[in-house]
Amino acid sequence: MKIKEILKAAVGPVFAIFAAFIVGGIILLIIGLNPLRTYSELFTLGMGTYLGITESLKRMAPLLIMSAGLIIVFKSGMWNIGGNGQFLIGAILVGGIAPLLMDKFPLYLFFLILGLIGFLGGAVWVSIPAILKAKYEINEIIVTMMMDFVAIYFTSYLVRYPLNPHPGHFPQTVVLPMEKRLPLIPFTEVHIGLIVGLIVVILAHYFMRRTTLGYEFRFSGENKKAAFYAGVNIKKVTILAMLISGGFAGLAGINDVLGIKGAFQAEWNPGYAFSAIPLVFLARLNGIAVIPLAYFFSFLAIGGEFMSRAANVPVFFVQVIEALMLIFFGIGEYIQKRGKLFWKY
Amino acid sequence: MEILSSIFSEPFFIVLLGGALTSSTPIILAAIGEDFVESGGVLNLGLEGMMLLGSFTAFVVALNTQNIYLGLFSGILGGLLIALIFGYLVIYLKINQIVAGLGIGLFVLGITSLLYRIIFGRTFPVISEITSKTPIPFLSEIPYIRSIFNQHIITYLSLVLLPIAWWVLHKTNFGLNVRAVGESPVAADAHGVNVYRTRYVTVMIGGVLAGLGGAFISICDLAFFVSNMTMGRGFIAIAIVMLSRWNPSRIFYGAFLFGICQSLTYGLQIVGLDVPREFILMLPYVAVIALLCVFARNTRLPRAFCQPYERE
Repeated sequence: MKIKEILKAAVGPVFAIFAAFIVGGIILLIIGLNPLRTYSELFTLGMGTYLGITESLKRMAPLLIMSAGLIIVFKSGMWNIGGNGQFLIGAILVGGIAPLLMDKFPLYLFFLILGLIGFLGGAVWVSIPAILKAKYEINEIIVTMMMDFVAIYFTSYLVRYPLNPHPGHFPQTVVLPMEKRLPLIPFTEVHIGLIVGLIVVILAHYFMRRTTLGYEFRFSGENKKAAFYAGVNIKKVTILAMLISGGFAGLAGINDVLGIKGAFQAEWNPGYAFSAIPLVFLARLNGIAVIPLAYFFSFLAIGGEFMSRAANVPVFFVQVIEALMLIFFGIGEYIQKRGKLFWKY
Repeated sequence: MEILSSIFSEPFFIVLLGGALTSSTPIILAAIGEDFVESGGVLNLGLEGMMLLGSFTAFVVALNTQNIYLGLFSGILGGLLIALIFGYLVIYLKINQIVAGLGIGLFVLGITSLLYRIIFGRTFPVISEITSKTPIPFLSEIPYIRSIFNQHIITYLSLVLLPIAWWVLHKTNFGLNVRAVGESPVAADAHGVNVYRTRYVTVMIGGVLAGLGGAFISICDLAFFVSNMTMGRGFIAIAIVMLSRWNPSRIFYGAFLFGICQSLTYGLQIVGLDVPREFILMLPYVAVIALLCVFARNTRLPRAFCQPYERE
């Protein structure tokens, strides 16, 4: 892509980010907080300190992995919005199984098997909406959302009773010792999940652009009827795209268990999908553009967390900003197309 | 045997049936609104957000004024506000309806949690005087089913609205316009129906009813507000509209079944059945998926569903 094209494509997201910050600032003013102080705290704590940068890079990994799946499924014209549930299923499977396997396999094989288990867990969880969509045309938005709530309660049951090694204590699975967790990237304090995330998202990008299957995915996403008459197996595409996205969400779950937490804890639901959905739209479903935006979103999350302690601005403010970005991105698309905001009848 | 006899005891039935009707009320209200919106060809995924903002504004106003009706009214305003924004985004700006709906939903989720923390900090105030229920004379004394006839006034209202909604949608000019706009906006436009205005009105109806439903949750059914308290009820309402195949008269069955699943949480506690709490809590969501499998196979959508209308 030419630089000019890249710049043109970047106008929309940049506009969305600025507009979201401005409207977010107005909201802060209305509720009686100082927007300038809030934003300066946000940027210095999130981007200006070693701790902030390290934590942001760690936070990038699950976002990148989940975005890889979302790019594929959204480009195929399907809506998997239940990433949080698939994430939890992948995470709890690994939280439950990792302690059993950790002494039986060499470390690299251990991670590989767990990665596969997490991926399969997420994929199995999403297979219900995927099959219902492919066979009966049942709206996948609703079903993935419902499965989200089922996953929350199901994992909560598992971590409280069958997988809880110390009933009566705080419910969590067996905590993995440090040497059984994901190793760090040399010279940093960031675990290798980040590298996995980068590889996965780049693979997803080239899978969609350079392979036959990826082409079929995009084709049926853009025009299902035409794809059908051109001989694309729509059912296969529907199920595969959904399964891959669910699998990646599950993989993001194992990243957090093996890289950060070391166990699955009760009441834990980071809700990465709700950041990843605005993120991939801002990136225009482009895997390469996801990478800088993922850093930006992780910085927002980490900066917001630190800021809520320092400046007394609740962490939910970041969620508002992210949602505003998604809305303003849509508005930006319209302005770029029309050059005006108000329409006359 | 002991369990069987306690299942057929009166307290169980009273909790189950009365609770079912109460918890199906917000679903019925939101689903009626969504029925209008979808018949007009718009998928309102912002429904969850409308309900959540309705819950929040209703709670704050009712807590400060100690007046339930002011609370309900401001809940309606909250829903309407989101509807105005959502309508502008998807009808006039023609932003992808799913993206706009998700964006609105995330925005409301964030802003209500933010405002709650700012206003109340980490305290959890409760509205002390819950609206009294209005028993229907005589009927509310029948054993076993008496709790059905002892409900909030809003519950009766939602039940009355069901046939009215059917009548408006199928027997009036406005309803015909709505369905025409949902089926073929071009033809409707050629016949002089203002497509944009009709769709905007349906979205506003959806917002008003969703806001009222949300308000019912936070100040009638319960008496407090917590972050994300609608817990996917907006999505359930959308599912129920799909189950009922855009016919308001069928909304009741789906919503009531959801209500039964919801009130089983309390009902089974009375019976003393030892099922893990989590399994009972996930029951409504599993039920919705199962119902969709049975009743929503290959449904015929309004033909212009989810498509923005562009005037030539």
